[in-house]
Amino acid sequence: MANVKLKNVVKNYGSLEVVHGINLDVDHNEFVVFVGPSGCGKSTTLRMIAGLEKISGGEISIGDRVVNELPPRARNISMVFQNYALYPHMTVRENLGFTLRIAKKPQSEIDQAVAEASAILSLDPYLDRRPGELSGGQRQRVAMGRAIVRHPDIFLFDEPLSNLDAKLRAQMRVEIKKLHQKVQTTIIYVTHDQVEAMTLADRIVIMRDGYIEQQGTPLEVFEKPVNTFVATFIGSPPMNLLHGRADNSGKNITLDDGVNVAMPSRLAGKYADKDIIFGFRADNIMPVGHTLPQGDESVEIDMTVTLTEPLGAETLLFGEIGGTQVQAKMLNPRIVKPGEKLTFQIDLEKCHVFDAQSEMVLD
Amino acid sequence: MRRSKLPEWFVLLLPAFIILAAVVLIPLVLSFYSSFTAYRLTRPDSINNWIGFRNYVRLFEDAGFWWAFGRTVFLLTIALNLEMLLGLGLALLVNKVTWGQRGLRTIMMFPMMFSPVLVGFQFKFIFNDNIGLMNNALQSLGLTDQAIPWLVDGGLAMFSIIFAEVWMSTSVFAILILAGLFAVPQDPLEAAKVDGCTPWQTFRHITLPFIMPFIYIALAIRSLDVARAYDIVKIMTNGGPANRTELIWTQLARTGYVDAKMGLANAMGYISIFLAIFFTVYFFRKLNASRQILGMAD
Amino acid sequence: MAMDINDKHRLKNRLLKAGHLIALFIAMCIICVPGLWVVVNSFRPTVEIMAKPPVWIPTEFNLDHYRAMFGAVGEGGIPVVRYFTNSLIISVTSTLIALLVGMAGGYAFARYRFKGKAAIFVGMMLTRAVPGIALSLPLFIVFARVGIIDTHFGLILAYVAMNVPFTIWLIDGFFRQVPKELAEAAEIDGCTRWQAFWKVEFPVAKAGIASAGIFAFLTSWNEYALASQLTRSVNSKTMPVGLLDFTSEFTLNWGGMSALAVVMIIPALILTFIVQKHLIAGLTFGGVKG
Ligand SMILES: Nc1ncnc2c1ncn2[C@@H]1O[C@H](COP(=O)(O)OP(=O)(O)OP(=O)(O)O)[C@@H](O)[C@H]1O
Ligand SMILES: [Mg+2]
Repeated sequence: MANVKLKNVVKNYGSLEVVHGINLDVDHNEFVVFVGPSGCGKSTTLRMIAGLEKISGGEISIGDRVVNELPPRARNISMVFQNYALYPHMTVRENLGFTLRIAKKPQSEIDQAVAEASAILSLDPYLDRRPGELSGGQRQRVAMGRAIVRHPDIFLFDEPLSNLDAKLRAQMRVEIKKLHQKVQTTIIYVTHDQVEAMTLADRIVIMRDGYIEQQGTPLEVFEKPVNTFVATFIGSPPMNLLHGRADNSGKNITLDDGVNVAMPSRLAGKYADKDIIFGFRADNIMPVGHTLPQGDESVEIDMTVTLTEPLGAETLLFGEIGGTQVQAKMLNPRIVKPGEKLTFQIDLEKCHVFDAQSEMVLD
Repeated sequence: MRRSKLPEWFVLLLPAFIILAAVVLIPLVLSFYSSFTAYRLTRPDSINNWIGFRNYVRLFEDAGFWWAFGRTVFLLTIALNLEMLLGLGLALLVNKVTWGQRGLRTIMMFPMMFSPVLVGFQFKFIFNDNIGLMNNALQSLGLTDQAIPWLVDGGLAMFSIIFAEVWMSTSVFAILILAGLFAVPQDPLEAAKVDGCTPWQTFRHITLPFIMPFIYIALAIRSLDVARAYDIVKIMTNGGPANRTELIWTQLARTGYVDAKMGLANAMGYISIFLAIFFTVYFFRKLNASRQILGMAD
Repeated sequence: MAMDINDKHRLKNRLLKAGHLIALFIAMCIICVPGLWVVVNSFRPTVEIMAKPPVWIPTEFNLDHYRAMFGAVGEGGIPVVRYFTNSLIISVTSTLIALLVGMAGGYAFARYRFKGKAAIFVGMMLTRAVPGIALSLPLFIVFARVGIIDTHFGLILAYVAMNVPFTIWLIDGFFRQVPKELAEAAEIDGCTRWQAFWKVEFPVAKAGIASAGIFAFLTSWNEYALASQLTRSVNSKTMPVGLLDFTSEFTLNWGGMSALAVVMIIPALILTFIVQKHLIAGLTFGGVKG
């Protein structure tokens, strides 16, 4: 069993605190992804779990064992680094077998483990090359192979794909997913790419400025963001957010430029006379006649299109409501000229309302 | 219309060629020639007295010379290895320091500025059996009540010389290895820790291969002037007591300048030159090989 | 149980830290004490240096040795001032020449491709490997013939030759760090190759050239084997050779010698201190990135 528990984990560099009391439970075999903007403390947290950074406060346990003071080697983990961190003076074969060689395993066992890892990651043709003679994707695979060989309790990945081009990244994403299915271990994975997070994770942990903002399955964080930060960070394009005010009945919202929309019925009457932020995704605002079958609740709103981005099966439409840019989607697209005024339908059931002050979701 | 020009690189190197030819090559040719003569400083025309290989034969038959030769190789081997190990240790100690490292680095370079002659005197002074720091300290601490004859006993004298030599030259290694440690990429080190390496294993398998080129640079640089040890020995013991610290260089100086047997001395000189060249070529080779492994070569 | 392991590791870390500090302290002592002892002794009266049992805590400091050294010229004293000026003239001149020659050579190695480059390079290095004392024999004969024994010129010439190979090595390394494109860009902008060198490449490599200069200077300043044979009198004797003036058959003037040692060390100390950072960079650029 290799679950990971973080209890009030704090990290400071000198007087600067960069991770503020994080609590997290990672289950056995779970694939957890940390996302967040650059500098939010993802790597730091991961490295504390690995034992590469000392923790300044709190407690980390792996499989029911407190590991606060243990060096990395005593934690039975593997880590894949952003820059691969291959040993340049060893061949691929030696790189793969290194950890077992260190553990003084018999040669036959090492050979077998290397062969196994090499088969999983199709590295056979490169086994006798040095890392300097491999492409970026191949190096990445070697780095992963090196992690597999050890049969660790936990895999740690720190932005392993960020040095690869888009196509290779998509490909490696699939590889990693397959790998998880094959080797069945706990994985903690750091990225700042939300697509990677959505596609890979069993559970996403969204961080900002050293705090965890929200954690949950990809669907949960997509559908039920707890605040505007998560709402804009997860999902592409980011959620449209419009400032407005709930009227004194709490059943209507007046947006900044005077447009009126109804309060979603699940919230109707709950928040009267309150500054709010009204949020909806591009998938939930579509021109009339180009929509999905609508739910029971919807409002119509007129908007002038300023810009279009055809994506093939659908087109992204850009417009403005009350001076704020809004992105909408058009299914079965036709050609739309900038300047054209269309009527859009907003699916109220899928809309989110946030407190304008605290930016937390209202429900 | 223009004169056919020499290649630019050649013109640029010409001053170096000329100077090295004038000061090193031509004298060496001369000394090579004179090593086949019975040239004596006191009788200048004896340089025409061709005696073939007789000087070399004499040397090869001279047990004293071979002792000096062996002692020189022994001293260099011990000293270079010790310097390397101590330099490595010192560099690791300083590298681990997080505070005041600049100051420590400066102190570390201290012995490099000392003239070898000065080092010789300094340690002649320190190891002096009567008033030296060493004996004074040992006696004051009550570790011994006799005056240990550091420079008078053959074995102890060799020890003292090696001590002085190591004191003087360890910093070359320490500094270069420290530079190497700074250049070791952090990622593989962390990867190794995670891969289960103990600190010793991390050092052995990751750090050491990375700093190997730096160690060889230091060895190469040192091998260029191993003969500086002559200055130290000349001052500390001048080959004594009873030739127990006689090195090829001190013997050579005595033969040439005191006994005025220039021909014979030049024959010794040639052997000492080959010794130095052997060390130099050997370490340059090693340096290139270790660079190749890390993919740092041209 | 779990706390046990953590405590053990914590304790181990503390012990390692303490061991590290102790080892460092001892190492630094071994490095510093011999030099400091010489400095201290240069200020102590001879009686106290020779005292038995030893005087650990100096009772008086004075400048007697320095006064004797600088003041007693002509009365059998040692002409330290002459030695100092000789050393200075010879070291500075030979360093400057070696730098010029080395810059030309280093540039050639860094920027041009030609047949036998590696061999020429190693050949040059080997000339440096010739032991000074072995070289001094034939050099003595040649210099005696030409009549430049015991002159500044003779020693300067010898030191230039001694320093050129190493200077070339270091400077080559530094020029290689300067991207070729920099000079090419300057040429496109209308410089001649000569101007491009002085305006672009030289300033960038300046630090390295300075460190090569310090190395050359220290080598000349401290050299003994050649100087002891190629100099005879106050005309050209340098300080390392002058040190031996304090010895006679049976006695050694320790105090006086310590004072001269201090005079020798101070300029070297100052120079090294100024360029210590470039010194390391110089050595490693030249060597590793080869
Ligand atoms: N050694 C250090 N000293 C001081 N501050 C540090 C140090 N290392 C990291 N930090 C700070 O800690 C914060 C978190 O850094 P961390 O590397 O964890 O970010 P990250 O979330 O991984 O970002 P990225 O996506 O850019 O990798 C940053 O603000 C960074 O500036
Ligand atoms: Mg990071």
